[in-house]
Amino acid sequence: MDVAQPRPSTPGGSAAEDMNYLFRLSPIPSLVLSASCRIAKASDSFLSAWNIHPPARCVGLQLDELLESKLRPGFRTDAASLGALIDAAISAREERTSAPLHIGYVSLWSAKIMPIFNADELLALCLEWRERPNPTSFLDGELISTGLGTDEAFRILVQAVKDYAIFLLDTKGNIATWNTGAELHKGYKKEDIIGKHFSIFYGKEDLAINKPQMELEICLREGRVEDEGWRYRKDGSRFWANVIITAVYKDGVHVGFGKVTRDLTERKASEARLISVYEESERLKSEFLANMSHEIRTPMHGMLSACSLLLDTPLTDKQRDIASIMDESGKVLLQVINDILDYSKLASGSFSINTDIVGVTSIITSVVRSVQATLQPTVYFELFLSADLPKSAQGDPLRFRQIVQNIIGNAAKFTEKGSIRVRASLQAEDRDSYTVMTEVTDTGIGISEDATRGLFTPFTQFDLTTTKRYKGTGLGLSIAKALAELMGGQIGYRPSPERHGSVFWFTVKLRKIKSLDQIQQWDRQASSEHVAAHAGELTPAEKQRRLNDAAPLKSLLLVEDNLINQKVMVGMLRQLGFKNIELAGNGSEAVSIVRAKPAAFDLVLMDISMPILDGNQASTQIRNNGILVPIVAMTAYALKGDKERCLEHGMDDYLSKPVDRKRLTAVLYKWICERDDYRKYTGDLSSKYSHSNNVTRDAEPYVKDIRDVRDFKDVKEAKPSNIPFVSQLGAAKSTKEGSSEEADSSPKDILAAKLSDATELISAKLRSAADIVGENLSSGNEGRSGSNDDLAEWKRSNSTTEGARDEGSNRHNDVNSANDAEGVNGA
Amino acid sequence: MPDFGDNVDVATFAQILEMDDDEADRDFSKPLVFNFFEQAEETFGKMDTALANKDLAELSSLGHFLKGSSATLGFIRVKDSCQVIQQFGHKLNLDGSPEPDEQVCLAKITEALQSAKEDMAKLETLLRKFFGEGSD
Repeated sequence: MDVAQPRPSTPGGSAAEDMNYLFRLSPIPSLVLSASCRIAKASDSFLSAWNIHPPARCVGLQLDELLESKLRPGFRTDAASLGALIDAAISAREERTSAPLHIGYVSLWSAKIMPIFNADELLALCLEWRERPNPTSFLDGELISTGLGTDEAFRILVQAVKDYAIFLLDTKGNIATWNTGAELHKGYKKEDIIGKHFSIFYGKEDLAINKPQMELEICLREGRVEDEGWRYRKDGSRFWANVIITAVYKDGVHVGFGKVTRDLTERKASEARLISVYEESERLKSEFLANMSHEIRTPMHGMLSACSLLLDTPLTDKQRDIASIMDESGKVLLQVINDILDYSKLASGSFSINTDIVGVTSIITSVVRSVQATLQPTVYFELFLSADLPKSAQGDPLRFRQIVQNIIGNAAKFTEKGSIRVRASLQAEDRDSYTVMTEVTDTGIGISEDATRGLFTPFTQFDLTTTKRYKGTGLGLSIAKALAELMGGQIGYRPSPERHGSVFWFTVKLRKIKSLDQIQQWDRQASSEHVAAHAGELTPAEKQRRLNDAAPLKSLLLVEDNLINQKVMVGMLRQLGFKNIELAGNGSEAVSIVRAKPAAFDLVLMDISMPILDGNQASTQIRNNGILVPIVAMTAYALKGDKERCLEHGMDDYLSKPVDRKRLTAVLYKWICERDDYRKYTGDLSSKYSHSNNVTRDAEPYVKDIRDVRDFKDVKEAKPSNIPFVSQLGAAKSTKEGSSEEADSSPKDILAAKLSDATELISAKLRSAADIVGENLSSGNEGRSGSNDDLAEWKRSNSTTEGARDEGSNRHNDVNSANDAEGVNGA
Repeated sequence: MPDFGDNVDVATFAQILEMDDDEADRDFSKPLVFNFFEQAEETFGKMDTALANKDLAELSSLGHFLKGSSATLGFIRVKDSCQVIQQFGHKLNLDGSPEPDEQVCLAKITEALQSAKEDMAKLETLLRKFFGEGSD
C-alpha cells in the first residue's frame, strides 16, 4: 500500500481512498502505527510540523527509529517512556496521553495514543500529537524527564513512599487513596480503609472536641492545617504524628484534601528524654547547691564562732588584724553562700512570697539602725520617711526587709565619707494597693558606666565585674531585683546627680488591708489550722522526722549559764538537726543578743536560774521590747507553780531539767513546726501571753466568744437601734434562762448571753491571776520583782505600743486584739 | 553500760552517751563528764569557803548550779545532795517549809556537802573506769 502517493482530490472515490485522503489532510498531526509500531501513515500536518521531507523518512520506519532521529540529544529516554505508555494503552485498551517529548531543540510534543482493536486483535495504533507550550526554561523540563508521564510518575512516587502516609480525602473527609506509607503507618489495607472517614485515626479526646472536622474547616479556610498529636493504628496502638492536610482544588473547584502523616514517636520520645535529663540535671544542680551551701555553712559557723572567741582573747595588734581579716572574710563568705541558696531558689522558681503585714517605716528604721552600727564615723544617715506611707499593708515583710537591707548595706559598704540618704514614699495608690518607693542615695564610690549594665544581671556576668574588684557577694542585687519583681515592683540605679555616688531605688506593691473582716478571716484561718494540726496528732517518730527536716534552717538561742548543760543541750539540738545555735551565758547577754537581732531566732531556750539576770527577768525584758520570739523555759525547779511563773513572765512553754530528748523534741516540734512563725501576723498572738497555761486553755471558748461578739457588733452597727450597753447586760441573764434555743434568738440576745458568759470567764481569769499574784507575794524570795513586772505587763497590755514591729501591739488578750483590729480598720 | 548503782540515772546518762558519734572514743561524753568533775571540784571548793563564811545565799546558788549539771548528766546522788544544799541555803526544809534556824541549815548543808563529795569520789572512780581511765 502506497499511502505516500498523492491522489487527485476528487470526491466520490472509494471509501478507503477517501479516508486516506482525509487522514492526510487532517489538521491534527497524526500517525497510524501498525500493531508492531511501524509507522503506516503520517498526516501532512505531522510531516510539516516535525519537519520531515520526504515522507519516506518517516513512513515505513519503526516509531523508535523516527524518534531517535528527532528527539533532542539527552532526551532519548523519552522514546522508551512513550513505548511504555503505548504498551500500557494496549493492555488497558484505553487511550493514553503521553508526557511531552522533547523534539528538536525547542518543541515539546505529547501524543494521544488510541489503540484500535477488532475484537481481541490489535489492528493499529493511532497517535495524535499536540504541541505543548514551551516551559519557561529548559531546565524545568528535567523535572519530568523520568521516563514516565507526569501523572504516572507522581502516582508511582506517592504509591511507593514508605516513610509518609500520603492519601487523599474527598470533600467530606472520606479516604479516597492509600499508599504504602499509609498502610505501614496505620496498619490498614487499602481495601479496608477506602471510603471510610479519616476520623477513624483519631483518639477519643480528639473526637470529643470534634478535631477531625475542625481541621477540615480550618484547612478550607486557610488552605492548609498542621497538627501534632496521637493517632491510632488499626490494632489500637498509637503513634505521635505530624499531620499536614492541604485542600486540593481542580480547576478552581474543591475536590478534596491531601493528607500527609509522619510518625514522630521517636522524635517525641527523644525530646521527652532530653527534657527529663534536663530536669534531672537542674534538680541535681539545685540539690547540690543546697547541700553544698549547708555543708559549707556548718563549718563556717564553727570557724566564725572560733574567730570571735579568738578576738575576745588578749592578742597583739598584728594578731588582732589577722584574726579580724579571718572574721570579716568568713562573714562575707557566709553571705555569699546564703545568697547562692536564695539565688538558686529564685532561679528554680521555688521561692515564695508570703502574705503578712508589712510595716514599711518600722522595717526601714530597723535596717537603718542595724546598718548604722557598721558605718564609718565619717558617714551619716539621713532618713526621710514620707508621712503618707501606709502604716501597715499586706506583703512579705521578710523579703521587703531583705531588699532594704541589701541596698542600704551596699551603700554603707561603698561609702567612706559623706552621707547615705534613705527616702521612702508612697509612689502610687489605687483602690487595692500601695506602691511604695524606696530610694537610697549615697556619696560613695559610685559605679562606672560599664559596670552599670551588669548590675542586676545574674551572677555569671556579675561575677566578672563587681565581686572581683570589691569583696562582697555580687549576688545581692540580682536577688533584690528578683524579689522586687516578685513583689510587683521594680529596681533601678542611676548615678547620683549631686555629687559622686549612686542612687538605688526600688518599688514594691503592697496590698491594702481592706477591713476588719479580712483580719478576722486570718484569725479564723489561723485557728482552724491549729485545730487541724491537733486533729491529726503525729507519732513522736514522725514529729522527730519533720523537726529534723525543718531544723537546719532554723536558728535557736540557747541561754544557759552552766557549761556542762550548755554542751549537752547543744549536743541534743545538733542531734535533732539544728545547725544554727547561738549561745548566751546569762539573761542579760540573751536580752542584748535578741534585741540586736529581733527577728533572727526561731526560738529561745531559756534557763531560769542564772547570774546577772535570770531567765524570768530576761524574758520579761525581751517581751518589753515587743519581740515575740517563742521562749521555752528550762528549769530544774520542780516545784508547783514554777511552770506558771515562767508563762507569766512571757515565756511560752516549759521543759524540766534534766531535759529529756523526747520531751525536747515534742516541745520544739510544737513551736517550730506546728505554730505559725511569730514573725507573721496571726490572731493567735493575742492569746499567747495570757498569764497561765490553765487560763489560756479556759480562755479558748472565751476567745471564740469575743470574736463572735465582734461579729455581732458589726451587725449592731448596721442597725440604727442602739441599745445602751448596760441594758444589754441586764437582759443577758433573762434571755439566757428564758430561751434555750439560740436559733430563735436575735443577735442582740445572743450577744447579751455571750457577754454574760464572757464576764464569768473574765472573772475566772482574774481570780486565777490573783492567785498567782498571791503566790508570788508569799514566795517572793526567789529574787523576782513580781508585782512591778505585773504592773508593767498590765500597762503594756493596755497601751498600743508603737514598737519596732507593728504586730507587736497585738497582744495579751482578745479584748485588746479587738481594739487593735478596729484601729487598723480605721487607719 | 556497766552497773553504776544508784549513782547514775541510766536513762539520762544513756541519752548523753547516745550523742557520741563513736562508741569507741566517746568524744562527746568523755570530755563532758571530765569537765563535770572539774566543775564539781571547783564548786565544792567554793562551797567550803561559803560554808566557812556562813553565806547561805551563796551556798544555795552554788547548790543550784551543780544540781543543774549533775541532773543533766544523770548523777542523781550528787544532784540530791545539791538539792539539799540549795533548799537549806534558802532556809527551807526539803518539803518547802521554812527552816528559820541558820545553825540547822548550816549543819544540814555540811552533811550534804560531805556526802556529795563522797558520792562524787565514787562516781569518779566508776566513770574513769568506764571511760578507760582518762589520761586527760
